[in-house]
Amino acid sequence: MRRTLLAWVFCGCGLLAGPTVLSAHHSFAAEYDANKPVTLKGKVTKVDWVNPHSWVHIDATGPDGKVTNWSCETAPPNILYRQGWRPNSLKEGDEVTVDGFAAKDASATMTARSVTLSNGRKMFTGSNTDGAPDTKK
Amino acid sequence: MTWARVLARHIGPIAISVLLVAAAAQPKSTYRAPRTPDGKPDLQGIWEARNTANGDLEAHSASMGIRAGESVIVDPADGKIPYQPAAREKQTQNFAARTSADPVNKCFLPGVPRVNYMPYPFEIFQTPEFVAITYEYEHASRTIHMNNSQHLDGIEFWMGDSRGHWEGETLVVDVADNNGDTWLDSSGNHHSNAMHVVERYTRTGPDILQYEATIEDPKTLTRPFKISMPLYRHTEKNAQLYEYECHVYREQGGGSK
Amino acid sequence: MTTVGIRITALALAAAAVSLLPLPAAAQRQGRGPEPKAGPFTRLPDGKPNMQGYWETRNFFTAWDLETHEKPEFGVPAGKGVVVDPSDGKIPYQAWALAKRKDIVEHHMFDDPQAHCWLSGVPRQMYTPFGFQILQPPGSVVLLYEAFHSYRILPLNGGPHPPDAIRMFEGDSRAHWEGDTLVVDVTNQNEKTWFDMSGNFHSDALHVIERFTMADANTIHYEATLEDPKVYTRPWKIAFDLGRNRQPDYEQMEYACVEGEKDLQHYTSSDGAKK
Repeated sequence: MRRTLLAWVFCGCGLLAGPTVLSAHHSFAAEYDANKPVTLKGKVTKVDWVNPHSWVHIDATGPDGKVTNWSCETAPPNILYRQGWRPNSLKEGDEVTVDGFAAKDASATMTARSVTLSNGRKMFTGSNTDGAPDTKK
Repeated sequence: MTWARVLARHIGPIAISVLLVAAAAQPKSTYRAPRTPDGKPDLQGIWEARNTANGDLEAHSASMGIRAGESVIVDPADGKIPYQPAAREKQTQNFAARTSADPVNKCFLPGVPRVNYMPYPFEIFQTPEFVAITYEYEHASRTIHMNNSQHLDGIEFWMGDSRGHWEGETLVVDVADNNGDTWLDSSGNHHSNAMHVVERYTRTGPDILQYEATIEDPKTLTRPFKISMPLYRHTEKNAQLYEYECHVYREQGGGSK
Repeated sequence: MTTVGIRITALALAAAAVSLLPLPAAAQRQGRGPEPKAGPFTRLPDGKPNMQGYWETRNFFTAWDLETHEKPEFGVPAGKGVVVDPSDGKIPYQAWALAKRKDIVEHHMFDDPQAHCWLSGVPRQMYTPFGFQILQPPGSVVLLYEAFHSYRILPLNGGPHPPDAIRMFEGDSRAHWEGDTLVVDVTNQNEKTWFDMSGNFHSDALHVIERFTMADANTIHYEATLEDPKVYTRPWKIAFDLGRNRQPDYEQMEYACVEGEKDLQHYTSSDGAKK
């Protein structure tokens, strides 16, 4: 099915009452593939705390044992900041699990729905998703 | 008598220095600006610098695209930025690479204080709780909180975080949370993310707004320095801001890569 | 992983994320869920409605599409459109324009100006995410948007629009009060902006008239009438509510775009990226 449009959503501030209300500013489908969900486990090598989206770079070991450096797109810094995250919340060397969807262009790039630290703390990065479950109010 | 000697030896010179510095810092103006409805000096309108500070804060000869100009640095008296040696070396390297390295050439936000002396107008709006400054260049925008609130902690912005208050005729703005990624001019004068700026805006006449900024940066400077310059009101009929969307022109083939 | 699988996982992740988040009290967001009844709006010293504060659209779906989606398509939620005239809720495109919209969605999503950090234009700026601040200094209404630090200045001084040769992404706005409604006339837009992420577009002949009316202290009714004889068969109108952001101690922050944009390089040629 030719995917005409997939909403590109990321976490808004209002996270309390039920499913997150998300908002979008450009197309998910043009960049990411909702048929390619990916879960990565690895060590943080770099955190780019930048707008319009922060990026968490991790060294993840694939099923073949090969280590690849992935770039994981997250919500913008001001959204993360309002959730209580700070630039030093995520540091080089931290072990994380990142869930999301892979880019269509076969680079080691993905959009992260969540980043979970080894202590269980979860950053709901709420970036590009397939849209439907998260956006239903 | 001993006390008098102590006073004369120590307090006297200090007092004199304080007076001199204070005299240099005060605009020599007795102009009283009209008031806004809530009784504050009315700085509103469209303003623009008319100098070469954006080319080089320090005194400089002309070069392609940049007029000659005197330093806008009033302290230290030699008009030079009091860099630590490594920071001066970095400025020299920046200057050599400026065509590609100047963040403004990539259409990035210019930061404070440079945004105030870019060759584009800006407009000041005042309400009791906020002073907003909207800039024609790249639709840069600054919101100055006037409610005695604290800077945000643990975040950095291209345009910093601004908190202001009034001192008589002067709007004093404290600018923190600056990232280290902007330049002070196109000659490679730079700063770190430890930069802290205190601005002073004072109307000295109907159409002149004196702008002063004290810049401190323990990572790059040996001591703070201060710039001072008049900003001029746009008095033409129907003056307004337009748009200068640098990154659009760059994307569509206008700037250097 | 099946579509259903993705949705279940997504819901689970969202719920888990919500429960685990370390939200400081000041960051807790009120106003999601049933709105408590708001009192009447206040007035400024000059008698005009006081619209000052932080606002956002209550229609998050509008950023995806001005028109209604009856059921969720994969990736686009079900959502109510905001086109109130014509009554069928559909933008009255000329035939060629309807075909162009389809082409945009299927082949040119790379060209979404917001993806390039371009300004959103009017009315898209009003429902672009992250909300905005209204200030009412003497003589103007100023809208400061968090997204891409955009702003709109709405002078109340009766001055003229600039000449037609000057075009801007946000156009030029001139405002006046009609009773308690702020009426804004917007001209001089360039043709480079879209209305949403569903390919809805306009030409440089676009003329927009907005109306802001406070319904209560926490609600502004927003309407925009759009006409563009090059693209539509008749003028049409959108309407939705803006809700006040009631988070205590909320502050708008800088949200730059140009400096850190890294998505476009991953778009593929099937969406119009030039590779």
